[in-house]
Amino acid sequence: MARPVLEVHDLHVTFRTDGGLVPAVDGIDFAVAAGETLAIVGESGSGKSVSSAAVMGLLPGNADVTGEVLLDGRDLVGLPSDELRKVRGNDIALVFQDALSALNPYYSVGWQVAEAYRLHHGKSRDASKKEAQRQAVRMLDLVGIPDAARRANSYPHEFSGGMRQRVVIAMALVNNPKVLIADEPTTALDVTVQAQIMRLLEDVQEEFGTALVLISHDLGVVAEVADDVLVMYAGRAAERGTVRDLFHRAAHPYSLGLLGAMPRVDVPPKPRLTTIPGSPPSPGSISTGCPFQPRCAYTERVGERCITERPELTPRPGEGDHEAACHLGRRPSDA
Amino acid sequence: MPDLAWFVVRRLAAAVLVMLALSFAVYLIFYAIPADPANLACGKPCTPDRLEQARHFMQLDQSTIQQYLNFLKGIFAGRTFGDGTAAVHCNAPCFGYSFPLARPVTTLILERLPITASIALGAAVLWLIIGVSLGVVAALNRGRPLDRLSVGFALVGVASPSFLIGLLAILVFGFWLNMVPVSGYIPLTDSPVDWAWHLVTPWLVLAVLQAASYIRLTRAQMMEELNLDHITTARAKGAGEARVVLTHGLRGALVPIVTLFGLDLGGLLGGAILTEKVFSMQGLGDLLISAVAQLDVAVVVGTTLFSAFLIILANLLVDIVHGVLDPRVSHG
Repeated sequence: MARPVLEVHDLHVTFRTDGGLVPAVDGIDFAVAAGETLAIVGESGSGKSVSSAAVMGLLPGNADVTGEVLLDGRDLVGLPSDELRKVRGNDIALVFQDALSALNPYYSVGWQVAEAYRLHHGKSRDASKKEAQRQAVRMLDLVGIPDAARRANSYPHEFSGGMRQRVVIAMALVNNPKVLIADEPTTALDVTVQAQIMRLLEDVQEEFGTALVLISHDLGVVAEVADDVLVMYAGRAAERGTVRDLFHRAAHPYSLGLLGAMPRVDVPPKPRLTTIPGSPPSPGSISTGCPFQPRCAYTERVGERCITERPELTPRPGEGDHEAACHLGRRPSDA
Repeated sequence: MPDLAWFVVRRLAAAVLVMLALSFAVYLIFYAIPADPANLACGKPCTPDRLEQARHFMQLDQSTIQQYLNFLKGIFAGRTFGDGTAAVHCNAPCFGYSFPLARPVTTLILERLPITASIALGAAVLWLIIGVSLGVVAALNRGRPLDRLSVGFALVGVASPSFLIGLLAILVFGFWLNMVPVSGYIPLTDSPVDWAWHLVTPWLVLAVLQAASYIRLTRAQMMEELNLDHITTARAKGAGEARVVLTHGLRGALVPIVTLFGLDLGGLLGGAILTEKVFSMQGLGDLLISAVAQLDVAVVVGTTLFSAFLIILANLLVDIVHGVLDPRVSHG
């Protein structure tokens, strides 16, 4: 892997609440290089969105973040808010899940894209306002808004869901960021539109060499666009590796569970999709053992260790740095 | 915006109908009171003969419907009471004639309006600034002392009657500290400084009372707005906190604030009755109260209709502004 633009080391996020400290992210590492795509997958509440918000410094005041978030070697954790402000939207940008609520209903889409440009380009007011508008139209055109110069004056509610998500992407890319974090960018969209938006993300990534962090629970999308995958469970990394490692050599029972729940056309059809029994533990309720143990089908084979000892990431056979946090030594399916 | 023009035309037409219905209702109500205005005009001793003369002169001897039609006609064509040398003219638009004051109601309203408008507009600017800024501060400091302080201030403002705050203000600033004049009104055209100086206490009193609801409304709206996803977007774009709060947060809270402001101002322009009384200013509220005391029905009807007109106008303006402020609202 090329030198990563974004490296996250031992990231912890703890929320201070009335009910005490709630750990949402409990020590995760990941890295992504220019032009590459890292997918972070996991169920709701696994800490994937909190991780991305932590990288952007967008968590509320009651969140404690420790660890390192290195952007081109510069640590963003603990950066003064004014310094962080200059990074946000400029070096790292975010694409949200729901474009309708992510856009401000009171301003035209052109204004909103232009604002993202103006916030990071100089002081000379009038000249840059015109330039910002020009850049906004250019970006809107680039993300495939037809008749962009005219549509720039329209308001978010006058667009369809897919077009709105294109606007959000234009807004995120207008400053040509090094890293783009897309938090379930297609979840709120129709299936056909989903494919268009993913294609668009791939295209702009190729054009600008952006590093993409794709947060998703759609393994179909992940298989198609990701280079590397991080599987998160209960705020920790369950498994990480290349996309082929995950799809062909998954080592963690949770990863297998996710794969089993996904319809596939490349393998003989199963009578029915499998589900993972139970639900993820609520943050803060995790005890000493493996967080996945209560839902795991392989616990009996390992025995006591799953309850008493928390598994760490250990190397597994695979292409690169394939690792899984499971006491089961061999691949579950080989046993 | 042809949509907007058509909307305004339709609303104005509706407003005329509302005014018509309202004027008729007001007419019926005030002319149904058992006391006879002619009695006052007749003087003492009042012989039945002179009373009848007075009633004829004031056109009170006609049927209620006829009187109402006369009133409507007067708006467009003016009216003349009596004949010969004793005749009294009321030029169009004539909204009635006050016999006790010997002036057309239109003239009376126009004379008093600058005073009420001075009080209302000045106070409105103050309460809008105080209310919205304290509301924003409260929302940003939710649960902290600044929030508690603002909400406490709002509570005092809501709970206090204007005559109490007004009299206290006069007592403290007018008499004890001797800082400001205690009563009276100087026209703006005479001396802008004296005008403002005489108005500053009523402005502050009204502002304190009215700001309360703006603090609470702004606080609630801002807390809601600042939780929305597009606020996170603004932060993610790299907007500074001030820009996030004002350009993105307050922008969304503006519509309900402007709505309340328009209606409050419209209501107040019709006469700040208690405030005018406390500060001895002869505005529309004072005109109305005196007219009620003197059974001056024409003035009561005129000022009531004028107040109603202001409320309708304020509603219309609020609706128009609403469409300008919120692109999702269509007037079509």
